[in-house]
Amino acid sequence: MDTIFSGLATGFMVALTPFNLMLVMGGCFFGTLIGALPGIGPINGVAILLPIAYSLGFPPESALILLAGIYYGAEYGGRISSILLNVPGDAGAVMTTLDGNPMARKGEAGRALSLSAVASFIGGTVSIVLMTLFAPVLSKFAVTFSPADYVALMVFAFASLASLVGKNPTKTLLGALIGLMLATIGIDANTGVARYAFGIPDLLAGIDFLIVVVGLFGMAELLSLVEEQLSGRLKTLPVDKSFVRWADMAKAKWTILRCSIIGFIIGVLPGTGASVASAVAYGTEKRLAGEDGKLFGTGDVRGLAAPESANNAAAGGAMVPMLTLGIPGSGTTAILLGALLMFNIQPGPLLFTQHPEIAWGLIASMYVGNVALLLINLPLVGLFARLLLIPQHYLTPLIAILSFVGIYSIVGNPFDLFLIVGLGVFGWFLKKMQFSLAPIILGFVLGGLFEGNLRRALSISGGDWGILFEDYQSLLLYGLAILVVVGPAYVSYRNRKAAKLNA
Amino acid sequence: MADRIFSGVLFLVTLAYAVIAFTSIKAPFQYDPLGPETWPQLLSVVALLCIAHVFWRPDVHDAGVPRMMWVRLGYMVLLMLAYAELYERLGFVVSTMLYAGTASRMLGAKLVNAAIFAGVAGIGGYLLCSVILDMNLPFGEWFEVLLSSGE
Amino acid sequence: MKFTSLWAAPFALALTVTAASAEVNSPECVAPANPGGGFDLTCRVAQTGLEAAFGTPMQVTFMPGGIGAVAYNLFNTTRTDDGNAIVAWSTGSLLNIATGKYGEFTENDVRWVGTAGADFGAVVVRADSPYQDLEDVMTALTGDAGSVVVGAGGSVGSQDWMKAALLIREAGGSPMDMRYVAFDGGGDAIAALLGGSIAVYTGDVGEMTPHLEAGTMRVLATMSDERLGGAFAEIPTAKEQGYDVEWTIMRGFYMGGDVSDADYQTWVDAFNAAYATPEFAALQAEKGLLPLNLAGDELTAAVAENMATLREIATEAGLIQ
Repeated sequence: MDTIFSGLATGFMVALTPFNLMLVMGGCFFGTLIGALPGIGPINGVAILLPIAYSLGFPPESALILLAGIYYGAEYGGRISSILLNVPGDAGAVMTTLDGNPMARKGEAGRALSLSAVASFIGGTVSIVLMTLFAPVLSKFAVTFSPADYVALMVFAFASLASLVGKNPTKTLLGALIGLMLATIGIDANTGVARYAFGIPDLLAGIDFLIVVVGLFGMAELLSLVEEQLSGRLKTLPVDKSFVRWADMAKAKWTILRCSIIGFIIGVLPGTGASVASAVAYGTEKRLAGEDGKLFGTGDVRGLAAPESANNAAAGGAMVPMLTLGIPGSGTTAILLGALLMFNIQPGPLLFTQHPEIAWGLIASMYVGNVALLLINLPLVGLFARLLLIPQHYLTPLIAILSFVGIYSIVGNPFDLFLIVGLGVFGWFLKKMQFSLAPIILGFVLGGLFEGNLRRALSISGGDWGILFEDYQSLLLYGLAILVVVGPAYVSYRNRKAAKLNA
Repeated sequence: MADRIFSGVLFLVTLAYAVIAFTSIKAPFQYDPLGPETWPQLLSVVALLCIAHVFWRPDVHDAGVPRMMWVRLGYMVLLMLAYAELYERLGFVVSTMLYAGTASRMLGAKLVNAAIFAGVAGIGGYLLCSVILDMNLPFGEWFEVLLSSGE
Repeated sequence: MKFTSLWAAPFALALTVTAASAEVNSPECVAPANPGGGFDLTCRVAQTGLEAAFGTPMQVTFMPGGIGAVAYNLFNTTRTDDGNAIVAWSTGSLLNIATGKYGEFTENDVRWVGTAGADFGAVVVRADSPYQDLEDVMTALTGDAGSVVVGAGGSVGSQDWMKAALLIREAGGSPMDMRYVAFDGGGDAIAALLGGSIAVYTGDVGEMTPHLEAGTMRVLATMSDERLGGAFAEIPTAKEQGYDVEWTIMRGFYMGGDVSDADYQTWVDAFNAAYATPEFAALQAEKGLLPLNLAGDELTAAVAENMATLREIATEAGLIQ
């Protein structure tokens, strides 16, 4: 404990120098802007700004603090276009559209933006506190998570998705399957065989997750907007000066706390990040809400707070394996890891002894960054909400322009632009046929993890399926999966029975 | 009806997916319990069953899209494809100005306003994203050719 | 034509000795895997070693998928003339070309630029593993090949798999009986070793440097011809322990086939200039690489020679029918 506090003290000495403080603020601000662009999330935000940070010639701890600020800023920024435009700013913000956008449509954009900023702040802060206290223990847990356990985690994730079932369960299942099938496109990492690439080199690497998100959500939303507009059904959205209320916080407080912890734990596991965390959090909360669960998807404050606290908590959790083991837990931390290596700093068990000023400075800057983001974001809420006052005939083309910028700047491949337009048309048809798009995205995210780990687990056991039910982590997850599916059904059955008795 | 047409098309695509999974995906050298073909096979079978169910019991009978709307939506999609096609050739500034102007005009903006919007989106967007944030945006192949031949 | 080029160009002119007409204004090293593995390490050598040559920091990007096949295909189809980007390769990539894993493209379709150095196979276990030396592993493998779960960052038929297959063959078993788990990149495989999902990791010496210091893993044997220096001086070779298993990994960089001669020469010169400095030797030592400095035509010839040998071994192991 003592080492933690003295370490933190060292860290704050580094992070609170006026220069570094300025960098955190600057990083958070630009990160928010970049994160708000559809498609560009923390991964690409950090990757894009990394060379600039390096070329400015700052000392390593300052450059890293700047990058961490951008990382957090982009994580915050992702929610903005989810809420305002129904276009997720990045992978972790997909679930934010489900309740965030309906709130904006009701004229509560300000309330949604400010509530999600507070939820993000709490999620982020809880995860940093947990990281500071338990990083070494957690990193041990993270590596013991075997391929078989990942399979169990995927089963649990799909089980918690069962709560997303809309009017037509078959269509929800079919949506998830479409996502899973899209994920099989590209070279198989296990045997190197190309699947469904048809010799098109751009497809060999598989379809990038961001392309699916921007295509299915952004472009399809654009087409829906055009349709509504041309048929005269679209009214300009009302924008009031609403803001988060204490009552909202009171209603969502347990949701935010639970989801912060769920998000953090999922973030710690290598390979699973903000997108999985927010999906599991949303599904779990919807189930826990019982009868109120029906309100999820119509602009419920808990439905908005759940994914936002979880995805920011996951961002902090992902730092654990990177800092303590040198193993990146997510795409973004992989880039940060690269940044550390660029300054000839090797992350891993020795980081805290060899470069305490960097390790603790980075951690302290996360505390500072979270506060900074809250302070930057709350006053900007009104400004962002006014985005909705832009007349639709400008806003609609703007969605395409922003999406093109976001997608093109990742790898500079024009093929991707055609891909998002194509997926957009497909997504529009799916919407017309009353499919929900979220299960497709989640099927896509979970698909590769599910298949890869299932095959790895079976390779380890030599084909014995028993390995999937071998250790307590897997069994616990299967237990939770059953609970998530059966529990709420049982509760509502009991309630109905009780109601009958009373009648 | 709409549901039936859509699920019919989806069925054919998935059937093609299944045929590939069952016939052509093979690892040349592999002894793992599950090969690269097993997972797609599994997915395709379940998906085909789901699609058959949707086809059997459709719940969306009318897409509610009048004929004129199809034309105009098609026009919008073409516009975006043209934008994608010209993105690298004409560069971000010019292609964005063309797209923004045409699209906003089509959606009902006044001619002057559409032109102003196009200018702001193209030039402002380039200044913000490429110059300030140093993001990777196309300058325009045709201009690069012009510039390099001029040297 | 990015904004950076405006200020980067004078830097490049001022700092490079030979690259007078430096078109290379945003150098990029593509590591065709997830971060943390061997390709990552290769790119780090270029990043630090060539820093002086371009005056602007080299960006390292990751392009995972198919253990390098994705990148190889991309640079043979779309980015064939990208003079800014080099892609990391290793002997494993050559093996994949030999066995046709990289599709229709051969070693003659790209331009071989320079090397980062040489690396060697390593047999790695977790610090608390019951296996104390290579003999323990080999005995276990001889008894029942399926009782030892071996894993690494490459698919079946890759060089990581080859290292394991060579071990099994030496122990008198067949590669088909082996229990081998493929991960996408060394980073994931190391996590699995630390977590106990796999018992033996057939990795590379170079990527072990930071982990050796941390004491979380033990290297039982290096698959080199002679003992290595530095941090690895204490570790015996497989040959010393009585097993004739050797795997040398050449690490280097290639570019697309249609890169202009001027750009190609800029890079070759940059590598040759770096090889001449003591800093580059120190960098190689730090990354666990042995000096093997080849660029341009010299390298192209060496690759051709290597390919012939690999085709032979691969046919023997049943990878080429």
